[in-house]
Amino acid sequence: MKFLLNTGSTIDEGRLAKGGNKYSEEYKKECAVCWISPEDFDLLGCPEKVKVTSTDGRYSIVVNTKCTDRVMCGNIFMPRAIWSNVVVNPWTFSTGSPLYKGSPVTVEPSDDEVLDAEDVVLKLYYGGE
Amino acid sequence: MVVKNVVCPVCGGSCEDIQVELKDNSITVKNACKMGNGKFQEVVSEHRIKDPMIKKDGKFVKVSWEEALDKAAEILANSRRPLLFMGSETSCEAQEVGLHMGEYLGGVVDSNATICHGPTCMGIQEAGLPTSTCGVAINRSDLNIYWGTNPLASMPRHMSKYGLFPRGYWTKRGRFDRKVITVDPRKTDTAVASDLHIQLQPNSDYELLNALLTILNGKTPHHSVEQVTGIAISVMEEMVDMMLEAKFGSINVGLGAGSSFGKHRNIEMALNLVKELNNNHGTKFRIGALRGHCNVAGFNQIATYLYGYPFALDFARGYARYNPGETSCVDLLREKDVDAALVLGADLVGHTPADSAKYLCQIPMVCIDIAPGPTPSGADVLLPGVIDAFECDGTFYRLDNVPVYFEPFTDSPFDFTKSNEDTMKQLFAKVKELKEKA
Repeated sequence: MKFLLNTGSTIDEGRLAKGGNKYSEEYKKECAVCWISPEDFDLLGCPEKVKVTSTDGRYSIVVNTKCTDRVMCGNIFMPRAIWSNVVVNPWTFSTGSPLYKGSPVTVEPSDDEVLDAEDVVLKLYYGGE
Repeated sequence: MVVKNVVCPVCGGSCEDIQVELKDNSITVKNACKMGNGKFQEVVSEHRIKDPMIKKDGKFVKVSWEEALDKAAEILANSRRPLLFMGSETSCEAQEVGLHMGEYLGGVVDSNATICHGPTCMGIQEAGLPTSTCGVAINRSDLNIYWGTNPLASMPRHMSKYGLFPRGYWTKRGRFDRKVITVDPRKTDTAVASDLHIQLQPNSDYELLNALLTILNGKTPHHSVEQVTGIAISVMEEMVDMMLEAKFGSINVGLGAGSSFGKHRNIEMALNLVKELNNNHGTKFRIGALRGHCNVAGFNQIATYLYGYPFALDFARGYARYNPGETSCVDLLREKDVDAALVLGADLVGHTPADSAKYLCQIPMVCIDIAPGPTPSGADVLLPGVIDAFECDGTFYRLDNVPVYFEPFTDSPFDFTKSNEDTMKQLFAKVKELKEKA
């Protein structure tokens, strides 16, 4: 299903990031998450994990789901962190700032593993090619 | 010993009323928010990066400070087009050295200011900034608008210090003298605590601002705006009425406006709305960016003061050029247009899109940081960072561009560097030495 991805702060994301705990299990639990509205969550089949794919289809990331009425139908939210930034649209429209809010993405249920932050760097970025 | 009035180096709020008691291996903090307390605990944390390291065969090896510094200087001196990323979690003094080093090397100097409120700066360049300090908002504002921001998560004390609860000269009853409107596609905690929540569709800020301007001028916007924004025109009219009833309004813009589709044009429209309110409607408004990262405003200030441009400064021609989209870090990395990088006090790998982060991990990178994370993992040379405001003095600029001088409550834990400014100066001296030899 197609969604618009909104990324942003959560207080615990800030607490853990500023406290230097980006490689902790707690940070992963807080940030490797996709917030989905109840209606969309039902349509996706109430999955525990989803694969979020970038606009151009080149990058995907598997994260846990959180069903909440805090987001509207057709939108998803992910805390700002390495997981969400994998799928953020890199084009800056000549401003230097990528589309952290409002990137079109695709979401589908997944059984794959949710990577640790360090593994995202090592597997996706560092040893990617 | 309890130290009072310590400045917090976490968000743009630069809270200056923190109390700290540092004992052997523990630190007690008062007045700080959850994020601030997390950072203060870094002084005694076990995961602190304490040794200079160089990556050899894919693994970090501890080396002497001199060896690490030599390697870092070599990476920068040998680069044809280095990117120097002066993050927000350090002082203006350290950022200034980075700007001078960028000019010397003919590289590109950029900062968190770009991927944070870069579009806001560009909007201001288009339309001017009708603003004030936060002190004016405390004393005067009876309407507070949070547009595309959730300060309860990104600047947790904004509401209590500047936005909603403080008692000012003309707002003696604090919250009871104020109304709050939040414009956000998400039902955030801030939205829940507001008098009016405008839950607009993402990427429709420009249309909503335009419709508000139309209503302000006594016209009814085209009905299609309801479909685009998801907001009924009657609710927009209610919002405009609240703005016109206010004696003094304070608009705090977050990344919801500048980071979504429309970018700097959203900000330009918001600034035009404020100008219209001030000029023709018998009320007064201010607008300001809610700057989420520590000294992100500082880089804009000193880069503008020194070189005339607020961010994305390209010194390839020997003088500063500014062309966001070409000379900005995300674009340079995405287009593989730099061949080495120095990242100071920022997690660039964690907070840029995949194409940019991936390329950053592939080129030689020097990182100055305090704790493990994606950027230190991707670095080739890792230099331990000193925590500004805790372990050294310097200057931050607050969210409203007020400079705040900070003093440390403890010393640098290292004998090889006193501050990030000191590290940058030592590195710059080594780079000059190498360049002059060549």
